[in-house]
Amino acid sequence: MMSTLEIKGATAAVITSVVILAATFTAGGIYRNRYETETQPGTKALAAENLAVKGRGFFFQSCAHCHGRDADGGEDAPSLLKLQISGAHMALVIQSGIKGEMPSFAKKYNEQDVAAIVAYLKTLH
Amino acid sequence: MIPWDKLHGAMTHFPIALLLFSTACDFVSVMLKKLPFARELRSVSLYALAVAALASFGAVISGIALSKGDLWGRGDFGWHHRFVWPAFGLLVALAVWRLVVRDAMSRFGLCLYLILMLLASGLVAAAGYFGGELLLSGGGVP
Repeated sequence: MMSTLEIKGATAAVITSVVILAATFTAGGIYRNRYETETQPGTKALAAENLAVKGRGFFFQSCAHCHGRDADGGEDAPSLLKLQISGAHMALVIQSGIKGEMPSFAKKYNEQDVAAIVAYLKTLH
Repeated sequence: MIPWDKLHGAMTHFPIALLLFSTACDFVSVMLKKLPFARELRSVSLYALAVAALASFGAVISGIALSKGDLWGRGDFGWHHRFVWPAFGLLVALAVWRLVVRDAMSRFGLCLYLILMLLASGLVAAAGYFGGELLLSGGGVP
């Protein structure tokens, strides 16, 4: 069976791994909550509303050509109404694009602009 | 603005490559233990594993920043994370265990270690596969 050193090593390994995973999930959760709160319509009413209004402008500028002015989809792009993904995931798609289907908007829009678009998309739920 | 997508893409390959390399070195050193450089291979695998574990922090931090803290998600995004978190935990645990034990492994300890290294390699490979799918499908929206 395992030696004392190996058992000590296994204990240290499990404790380290659990602590690091817990810290990662805690930090990730805090970051996500902050981002979701900032882009959530209805919380911090005025700021969120302003963000969504700003996002609506960006939407018409860059997204409506393909996704439709009502965001209900176009010939080549799907509807964005009632998206079943998180705001963080929406931001990821906007920033990364979809290879061969949708361009990346990372250069055109900064983090706050993307958050504004996400805030607008959330109002479409 | 920090380009987290590019950073994540760059950093994530270090733990993948180093873990697979470390696993390969371990298996070669066990199978060909009479070779004069088998002992050196074990040392190489130890350091490769330690660097892989360190590099995985960079990959994880850039990934969290890229996904705005969404640690699960749906579709390919969700599958990527289902493999990433066990792989990350296992990689850190294996590196710590190996650094503590070094070459003083019992037969049972070595067998268990090799099985877990194979498992970690599989998890990392699967996470990398779904990460690639995410890149091709732009977030893997279901």
